[in-house]
Amino acid sequence: MKRTGLGLCLLVLVLVLASFSPAVLAQDVHITILNSKGEIQTQLEEIAAYYSSITDGVTVEVIAAPVGQSPFERAVALYASGNAPAILMLDAGDVLLFQDRALALNDEKWVKDAIPNSLDMATAEDGRILAFPVTVEGYGFIYNKAVLNEAVGGEFDPATINTRDALKELFDTIENSGNNAIVIGPEDWSLGAHFFALAYSGQSPDLAEVNAFLEGLKNGTVKLADNAVANGLLDTFDLMKEYNYDRLDPLASTYDRGTQLIGEGEVGVWFQGNWAWPGIADFDTTGGQFGFLPVPISNDPTDLGNTQIPVGVTKYFILDGEQNSPAQQQAAKDFLNWLVYDPEGQRRFVQDASIIPAFSNITIAPNDPLSASIMEYIQEGKTMNFILNLPPDHWANVGASMQKYLSNFIDRAAFFAEVEAYWQGVGK
Amino acid sequence: MLALEKRFIDKLKTYLIFAGPTTLAFLTVIILPFLFGIYLTFTNWDGIAKAYDFVGFSNYVTVFRDDAFWRSFLLTVKYVAYTVVIVNTLGFILAYILTGDQVPGQNLLRTGFFVPNLIGGIILGLVWRFIFSNILVFIGRQLNISFLSYSWLTNPDKVLWTLVIVSVWQYSGYMMIIFIAGLVNIPKDLIEAARIDGANGFQRLRMLILPLMVPSFIVTVFLTIQRGFMVYDVNLALTQGGPFKTSELISMHVYEKAFLAQQYGVGQSQAFFLFLLVAAISVTQVYFSKKLEVEA
Repeated sequence: MKRTGLGLCLLVLVLVLASFSPAVLAQDVHITILNSKGEIQTQLEEIAAYYSSITDGVTVEVIAAPVGQSPFERAVALYASGNAPAILMLDAGDVLLFQDRALALNDEKWVKDAIPNSLDMATAEDGRILAFPVTVEGYGFIYNKAVLNEAVGGEFDPATINTRDALKELFDTIENSGNNAIVIGPEDWSLGAHFFALAYSGQSPDLAEVNAFLEGLKNGTVKLADNAVANGLLDTFDLMKEYNYDRLDPLASTYDRGTQLIGEGEVGVWFQGNWAWPGIADFDTTGGQFGFLPVPISNDPTDLGNTQIPVGVTKYFILDGEQNSPAQQQAAKDFLNWLVYDPEGQRRFVQDASIIPAFSNITIAPNDPLSASIMEYIQEGKTMNFILNLPPDHWANVGASMQKYLSNFIDRAAFFAEVEAYWQGVGK
Repeated sequence: MLALEKRFIDKLKTYLIFAGPTTLAFLTVIILPFLFGIYLTFTNWDGIAKAYDFVGFSNYVTVFRDDAFWRSFLLTVKYVAYTVVIVNTLGFILAYILTGDQVPGQNLLRTGFFVPNLIGGIILGLVWRFIFSNILVFIGRQLNISFLSYSWLTNPDKVLWTLVIVSVWQYSGYMMIIFIAGLVNIPKDLIEAARIDGANGFQRLRMLILPLMVPSFIVTVFLTIQRGFMVYDVNLALTQGGPFKTSELISMHVYEKAFLAQQYGVGQSQAFFLFLLVAAISVTQVYFSKKLEVEA
């Protein structure tokens, strides 16, 4: 009896140990991609399946960072479990946190084809290039052209909206035509990381000066109440609040509701970025004509931000250099090169997944109207900095303060005080 | 001496055969991470970097100076107080009614009240979110009931109550089962004797049943306190801490500090502090309520 007990124990022990040993015997190379752009999960899976089918012995698998979890957090968990994917899609601001573990990519062919400044956030202090720029994104007021055409009684020209007064007039025109002007999405990430970030990037077209402004916020020398851009931006926000479709209960609105309202032409304007396209497309009943308007911050058309929209590289791929074998690392590099240089790879990446590429050698453009609108702004040079080096909890904290301001829970002075208090506490 | 040694080895062998795997699992997944976690509270690790510095007790100083942490902590204490009282009262009332003789369909009702506990917190949160922000608002606007016309989830004064309501709905049935087990075990002859002595229903409840139910209450109060302090899933799915962080309970705050703000050391210090507090509260509660126990 005792003997059997011991024997069983041994058997269990052997089984447990066996499950820990790596299955190194397989000859095929299997690589995994962590995707943190939920809206293109299906498209990426299709690309991975296609790539696996055309290569000999390489299989690519895509795993998703769950909605509501930050890519950083997911990546940390995967690293801690010794199971890091070969390719990880991270937010721009998190790339350098992984510099101990990411592969240096300086020798890759695509480095010289990357568009200017797209590698700034991916370059470590020692000069190593650690990440591959996945996509260029931009944001502003998304407009539904059918609604606006109907309002102005003809062809709507987005260039006419270059001041706050022009925006107010547009809102009035839309309301007079029987539609609703705008809906404000109350998500903290949208209000904090995108809307209020306009107050930072609107300070100067030069990123160094924007950083100096943020430094001033940290050490308390910048007073937002005296700042024309911040006040102008909130004046515009007041205007948006006045015409907000959900003004009765502004915080009850949701992102999905926004995609539906703008897609069905229930409202004319919604503040978001080109990542919203797959959602809008699901509801679009007005012919698929959408575009971007800048968020005006004053009544002088020449002020920065009145004709420009923020555009930047928001997502990067890093390649793990620690927990993947050299064969896997090489397969990951090959996969990225295929995306940038193979015509089929380009087509699938850019058009199927609606990605605005950050590489000058790619001449095809995404088919969706929002990305096309962003490309137009880029080609006309009407862009400003998309501020991506904000502290990681900035969106949650400033977003919460914006929500208070949106629901009239606090006034502007209190709002500025909260934002200044947040910045002065950064890093402490 | 030799015999003693042999006996010890024998004992150890028996122990290892029967409890070895469990001990190993407990050590590796509870004790070691716990100790490593305490170690990390003295560092400024961000969660991923290979190098980090020792910062002494400065993370704990940060915790004590962090207003948001204390606000969140007080909110959690409030939430725990409400849920403990309501869940246990309701659970006991349900159990008392459902162990009576005159209720038809007892088993069906018991199952019905227990079922919410089988639904995961995330799904529960999403379902209730739809109820609070769509169904109740719709009813409120149709019938002109002013306090229902606006979503409770966007009202900083009412949002805590949405969490309390969902938790009560989730846990009352579970506590009810524990109470039913306790009630069924009260010897029938005692109740018979009390009845013959002329005690009416209320007197029997107060003088006999409640004192004999103290062991059940120790368990249920302990469970509700501990779950209340640890709640995260319902908080995440129902309110996401909103509107503007007014419903951010302590677990969510700790989590966001560690993983969102990327201050792992500070988050870990908060978690350790929270552990000490919950342990202290639970032990005190069990110790004092044990004194209330009586022999039948």
